[in-house]
Amino acid sequence: MDKSRSAPRRRNPRAISPAESSSDELAAGSEHDEAERRRASWTIHKGFTPQRPQQQDRRYSDSESTDELAVDANEYWRTSRSRRRSRSPVNRHTRRDSESQGSSGEPVDEDMESSNEQEAPGDTDAWSDRSATPVPPPVPPKPDHLNYKEKFVMRGHIRGVSAVQFSPDCSMIASAGADSDLKVWDTATGRLIHTFEGHLAGISTLAWTPDGQWIATGSDDKTIRFWNVKTLRAHPRIFSGHHNYVYQIAFTPKGNILVSGSYDEAVFMWDVRRGSVMRSLPAHSDPVAGIDVVHDGTLIVSCALDGLIRIWDTISGQCLRTLVMEDNPPATCVKFSPNGHYVLAWTLDGCIRMWSYLESRVIKTFQGHVNNKYSLSGCFGLYGSPNIKYEPPLAFAVSGSEDGAIIFWDIVSKQILQRIDVHEGVVLGVHAGTLNGKRMIVSCGMDKTVRLFEEVSEDGSQPGEEDAASADSNMRDDHPTDDADGDNAMTDASGLPSAAATPAEDVTMT
Amino acid sequence: MNLSLVDPFVLAQEYPDTLTEKLSSGHATCLSFNHKGDYLASGRVDGTVVIFDIETNGVARKLQGHTRQIHWSRDGRYLLTSSQDWKCILWDLQDGSRVRTVRFEAPVYIAQLHPFNHLLFVASLFEDQPVLVDVSSPKPIKRILPSAPLRAQPTNGEEVDPAVAAKQAAQDAKHSTCVTIFTAFGNHIIAGTSKGWINIIETQTCTTIHSMRLCNGVVILLRLASNGRDLLVNSSDRVIRTVLMPDLSQLGIDLEASAIKLHVEHKFQDVVNRLSWNHVTFSSTGEFVTATTFMNPDIYVWERSHGSLVKILEGPREELGVVEWHPSRPMVVACGLETGCIYTWSIVSPQKWSALAPDFGEVEENVEYMEAEDEFDVHPAEQVHQRRLDQEDEEPDVVTIDAVKGVVEADGIEPFNVPILLDVEDSDSGEDVVAVGPGTMRRRTPGAGREAVNGTGNGDVEKEGASGRAARSRRR
Repeated sequence: MDKSRSAPRRRNPRAISPAESSSDELAAGSEHDEAERRRASWTIHKGFTPQRPQQQDRRYSDSESTDELAVDANEYWRTSRSRRRSRSPVNRHTRRDSESQGSSGEPVDEDMESSNEQEAPGDTDAWSDRSATPVPPPVPPKPDHLNYKEKFVMRGHIRGVSAVQFSPDCSMIASAGADSDLKVWDTATGRLIHTFEGHLAGISTLAWTPDGQWIATGSDDKTIRFWNVKTLRAHPRIFSGHHNYVYQIAFTPKGNILVSGSYDEAVFMWDVRRGSVMRSLPAHSDPVAGIDVVHDGTLIVSCALDGLIRIWDTISGQCLRTLVMEDNPPATCVKFSPNGHYVLAWTLDGCIRMWSYLESRVIKTFQGHVNNKYSLSGCFGLYGSPNIKYEPPLAFAVSGSEDGAIIFWDIVSKQILQRIDVHEGVVLGVHAGTLNGKRMIVSCGMDKTVRLFEEVSEDGSQPGEEDAASADSNMRDDHPTDDADGDNAMTDASGLPSAAATPAEDVTMT
Repeated sequence: MNLSLVDPFVLAQEYPDTLTEKLSSGHATCLSFNHKGDYLASGRVDGTVVIFDIETNGVARKLQGHTRQIHWSRDGRYLLTSSQDWKCILWDLQDGSRVRTVRFEAPVYIAQLHPFNHLLFVASLFEDQPVLVDVSSPKPIKRILPSAPLRAQPTNGEEVDPAVAAKQAAQDAKHSTCVTIFTAFGNHIIAGTSKGWINIIETQTCTTIHSMRLCNGVVILLRLASNGRDLLVNSSDRVIRTVLMPDLSQLGIDLEASAIKLHVEHKFQDVVNRLSWNHVTFSSTGEFVTATTFMNPDIYVWERSHGSLVKILEGPREELGVVEWHPSRPMVVACGLETGCIYTWSIVSPQKWSALAPDFGEVEENVEYMEAEDEFDVHPAEQVHQRRLDQEDEEPDVVTIDAVKGVVEADGIEPFNVPILLDVEDSDSGEDVVAVGPGTMRRRTPGAGREAVNGTGNGDVEKEGASGRAARSRRR
């Protein structure tokens, strides 16, 4: 794997991907089949599949390496993806052309359909002796924009809000900021549930435990504290050990390990039960700004202002991979994709890059937001009707921006799906969640507010928006016809948890 | 997710080689991994079950009760402990409560839960008949299992000599079952007797369908490999046997009860010293057999395909008792008889330095560097950036989670996660009881001694918390 990197990095991998070179596959000798068979029998004997991918016959790597083991995994991902994508090279060419020429969402949709049409007849030709398999109904075109509407504005923080997160069941929102308070809000009503006070300096980051009982906060007072949402008490144990500001924290999915990144350039893994540092990962030479844990808990990603993104093995604590752009833009936030194959990284050159960490290369670059000073954060989310199966599933990346916008990008096309301009200052944090089947995002910013947005269906009372620009104006106007959301009411309501200000319909509609 | 990044040579290593960890919480005498392999339960001599989190090596939960042997339910939520105090206790790890307590008429050797039904277990008792216990209702239903081997029925009307029959009956009466385990699907129970016989008992009817004499000594321990077909037998004749079993789930379909044959594959023994074996276990895949030996601090690892000794795990200076192999990783734990510490052997992989520096690669020998044609071409930064953006034409799927290979979850059982308790008393020293005066002992207040660390900040909250927990522990 390492040797492969000595070869030029950005060669088109598909030109030599084995998915197309079928003649070579036939040429692969019988000894190869033999090896494969032996491996298969061994697998059965062992009772579990070997961790190494089984594409042994795909020995076409772009490196000159003789070390087949080393390139295996790399090759596996690449080939599996190219297989999934398209079958004939012709098809792929048309697609790439149409994709590169089009700047709006339209051509992409056409391309999706055309690829389906091309593939379906190809299949029936190849298997003409069988009865024709029913062709699946054409996938409807992807929606080319999103329609999130502001639902609540939650005021109460005295200073800028740096972090916001839905609880695991999305029934609550936790927000924390420079005023060193942690506030918990009710998602359904937008009311303040509780304010936790105790930190001696501003809070930079927070994380819910996976069971939703505790919130951990990392602060500039160099400590991490735990707050119980059920009992509204602080945990007596204070996690102290960092020598400088705690920048970002994340829990493993089981909640037994807390990973924290700090200004002291260290990454600590804490045993949550004991409240002590279990392991320190020393490898960054600048403040560690971003931390995330993959969905199965086996990998940790960290990024630092030195521009390095490192992938760590949770069990052994070893660095498995380092990702870096040539000009080392400071990396301020990292997030694993929901399936863990990719890493989304915010850098201070105004880009959000999605890396395939297995191949150590950038898959997508999202631009359009302003980011050259603050640690913005965001996340992945899903869109599109849940009843329609898209291939691949529709997903967006969302991030705040220093010009006060919240921007949604489509993962595949990199198009901006929606731009919401309601915050008055930098939008520092965005988090996506789902409550009662409604997709929502919550954002926080330097304007001391936390704002909740809900996805509104197109065919509702809401007139469809043509493009992002008009969406902005809609949001700015806060037009009064938008009674269902009750934006105006909540904007006036301020952070005081007065019941009178909350319209009853808000409660019933969720 | 990490497997595609980990050095394949490390993954290919199948058995551990170095002593990596030493867990200690009291004097542990028995060990058991859950099926997923993220928790290790240890039973202490003081009757506490301590559940360790393998990932953090910390204590996840403590259960107070007497123990000699521990068995996990498949989903990892329930725990069955058995003890010489004539009781079996079924625990629920959700809240640490006792689901059932079953009392017997004799000390319990070994109790094991049914692989799919956590309310059914089989227990072998000291000098008594083994019982199958159904605890689905608060009042347990005990069914006695036979110990006597199944004798060949007299064929074609042959007269049975009454003297022989009487002698046989007298011999049969001497059999007592020392160990009982369920087969992989739980349809059958395999029992080992004090006379070295192996009985296969049908769970449904509690009748013996097959018996076989394996050895002369007492059968001390029976274990099944993860494939459910290989049986490991430790007996008092100082020989460890691996036995190949027929697929009992095929019974009645392809296989007749009379056609069952147990075939001894390997015999492992110490030919020089003739030492007896304290405890034996299969490796996660069943390819290796591991045993601890009497009066010896070593752990022997044999490979099964050839029956050869491949590794002797060394490290501690004391005799080791129970040895267990992690259900998926090459990791072995064993507890010392003298100190009660839990020792862990696993693989230590060196940090690949090339993972830290993305521009470097590790090469075996010097490589002539071939300069690419366009390597030193200078392009405007804008152009490079734009070209890079144009190349991003893939359709990545960021959502769909791959089916995880080689994980036990395939059988559709949602693995249970032990709740994370933030106030489990941390007793690395194992001193839960402290002397407060001459002759008076007091259970140590959890959290005591930590005040010094957390002296600042919310003092009142902390005091409340500590006193609350103290009250709780006193109640216990």
